[in-house]
Amino acid sequence: SVQDGLAADFRALTKTLYDLNKALGSNIVRGGPLKELVIENFDEEQIWQQLELQNNAVLDFFKKSIARDAEDEDLCLFSDQEEDGSDAETSSDKELEDNIMEAETEQKNVYTKEKTKAKEKQSKLRESIMQKYSDEDSDIDFDIEALEQQTKTAKETTLKKMGRKSIVDDKFFKLAEMEAFLEHAEKENREEEEDINYFEDILSDDEEEESEEAKVKPIKSSRDLTYKDFFDPVDDNDDLVANDVEDDQEEEADSAIEEENEESMSEVEDMNEMVMENMRSKEASKKVTFSLPDDSETEDVTDMQLEKGIDPSEIKSSFEKRQEKMSKKIKSLEEELLEEKPWQLKGEVTGQKRPENSLLEETVLFDHAVRMAPVITEETTFQLEDIIKQRILDEAWDDVVPKEKPKEEAFEYKKRITLDHEKSKLSLAEIYEQEYMKLHQQKTEEEENPEHKEIQEMMDSLFLKLDALCNFHFTPKPPVPEVKIVSNLPAISMEEVAPVAVSDAALLAPEEIKEKNKAGDVKTDAEKTPTDKKRERRKKKLRKRMKLREKEKRQKLLEKMKPEQGTKLSKKAAAAKLKKLTKEGKASLLKDEGKDKVLKSSQAFFSQLQDQVKMQIKDANKLKKKQKKQKALSVHKLKL
Amino acid sequence: GKGEIRKVPVPANRYTPLKENWMKIFTPIVEHLQLQIRFNLKTRNVEIKTCQETKDLGALTKAADFVKAFILGFQVEDALALIRLDDLFLESFEVTDVKPLKGDHLSRAIGRIAGKGGKTKFTIENVTRTRIVLADAKIHILGSFQNIKMARTAICNLILGSPPSKVYGNIRAVASRAAERF
Repeated sequence: SVQDGLAADFRALTKTLYDLNKALGSNIVRGGPLKELVIENFDEEQIWQQLELQNNAVLDFFKKSIARDAEDEDLCLFSDQEEDGSDAETSSDKELEDNIMEAETEQKNVYTKEKTKAKEKQSKLRESIMQKYSDEDSDIDFDIEALEQQTKTAKETTLKKMGRKSIVDDKFFKLAEMEAFLEHAEKENREEEEDINYFEDILSDDEEEESEEAKVKPIKSSRDLTYKDFFDPVDDNDDLVANDVEDDQEEEADSAIEEENEESMSEVEDMNEMVMENMRSKEASKKVTFSLPDDSETEDVTDMQLEKGIDPSEIKSSFEKRQEKMSKKIKSLEEELLEEKPWQLKGEVTGQKRPENSLLEETVLFDHAVRMAPVITEETTFQLEDIIKQRILDEAWDDVVPKEKPKEEAFEYKKRITLDHEKSKLSLAEIYEQEYMKLHQQKTEEEENPEHKEIQEMMDSLFLKLDALCNFHFTPKPPVPEVKIVSNLPAISMEEVAPVAVSDAALLAPEEIKEKNKAGDVKTDAEKTPTDKKRERRKKKLRKRMKLREKEKRQKLLEKMKPEQGTKLSKKAAAAKLKKLTKEGKASLLKDEGKDKVLKSSQAFFSQLQDQVKMQIKDANKLKKKQKKQKALSVHKLKL
Repeated sequence: GKGEIRKVPVPANRYTPLKENWMKIFTPIVEHLQLQIRFNLKTRNVEIKTCQETKDLGALTKAADFVKAFILGFQVEDALALIRLDDLFLESFEVTDVKPLKGDHLSRAIGRIAGKGGKTKFTIENVTRTRIVLADAKIHILGSFQNIKMARTAICNLILGSPPSKVYGNIRAVASRAAERF
């Protein structure tokens, strides 16, 4: 791009300049270690630093020379530009000047570039001073545009500075207040435009003036330094600024802001001198000020300064001063009211109407519709953990209790409401009466304390015993029914050791031995009705069924628990054995032939018997007949 | 001013019971409710009238209801509950309202309601804490609102033909639930 080409040119040019300078006029200016400027593969920053090294030495020299010349009474400043030029020319770097004048355009580029940098990094005073240096040289050929730009920026910066907190503000020094004073003083008297020290205090060769933080008094040796040297007195004697540091600060700040503009520079120089004078005069007299609230401090200082500047002879009374302050306050408040309100006080401010991210700095109040989620901090977790630990120690678990369905047997359910099939003996009114009484009596019953009951019982038993012991005509209370297990042994064995009478009877009654029939009487088979018989049969069958089931259950259980014992008597074992025997031939199965059925009834049996006999007879007869036939044949044969 | 009069007609079949129980009827009305009562022989009405001593005007209605209940067929003691309790009611309906029955069917329905020796009727009375009067085809139930409902449901089921055992089961269930609630 265009910029890159220009930059390369510029770099080359700077290098030539530097080398030339070194070659030509290196005797007068001391310092400057580098003999040539290296630019190959060097960053801007690095080149700058090289230049800075050189410039430091040069600037020191210049400062000294200018200081010298300023004190020189023969010389005087008539107009800004010319005088600056003349001052500049006292330096011995004339060749440099010539060179710079030749390479005007490049200088301008440098100039603008440098200016932009100055805008960004205002606190880098070295650069600013460098610019100053270049500025001094190029005073004749002035770029109006550049100048205008500078004035604008200067004004902006000055405007910004008014009433605003800057970084350099301190307990002792307020940039805004200083500038206000300077402006005011400038307006008041523009008398002195004489030769002014650019650098107000040239105290020693070794002093570093540029850093704002340097508050050391150079005269003392390091051993004798005390708190006073570093800081102002602790009280709010702001008017008593006995430090040169403040002057330095003011100067440097001034120079940083307004160096481009030579007019303003001169003003600054004026102001500096004024400030110096004021400060010095202040040192002489101490004054007591009333510590009024709010922003009285600054006002005090400024007032003091203004006062001193205006008319030291006219001393105002404290009341007058206060009145002034009040009026000023009122004025400021009125101005504030007339001004446009800040966006915070305007209602319904949209994002466009307020600066970017301004809400982040504001604390905004609004109603929460929903309860905010709890912030989980370490403390809350610790609290929770404590609770958990305590619960574990107490074994107070929050386990879910399983719901159980209340099982009610039908029997009990039926019991609850008995069906009375008879006419009720109580009338309706009485029934309701009873209900009512029940409802009200329940309340009284619940009030009985169970502990009272216990106590009552214990007392009763105790008194009974006591009465039995001490009372002659003691009649015991009727016994309360209680459950007792009795075994059926002859009474004689259970009763007292020395029985009054001996009884053969057993303790248990006959009914307790054998249960009585539900019907009440025992019937013989002839007396039993068919229903009785059937009932008995059913009972018998039921008993048998239950027995069988029990047996099977036992068998199964036995099989599971002890396999060998179980299998001995089981059905399967029996079947298996039978099979084995039949196969072997030791046993034979009786087949179920039709014959056996016939023998079940006597009639059948006898008829079968009869048949058998008949058959036998028949056979016998047949035999006989056969024998007879055989005989007959022989006789016939004989006749012949 | 003028006292209010209520008149309750008496059918012929209830004369004798009225005569027998007259003392029991008129004592609570006169003594507790402070009303005047008489039986008009000509019109065959029982007349009840307020007088100066009457404190509560609602007593007149109560007394009238009491007499009416007795005339319908309830016992005096049962009808007395009407005076003593506020929330007792008297409901009447016919068998043919539930289901149009005629002749033998009607008789059988009535028989089902009554049961053997009045067993079923007494069972319903006992379980539901009501009093039931079964006068041929008319049924009168005396009791509190919920109980009347229970009894009515049971009787209707019987009319519609369910066997008594089933009806017992149902009313038992309902009655137990009602008892649980209170």
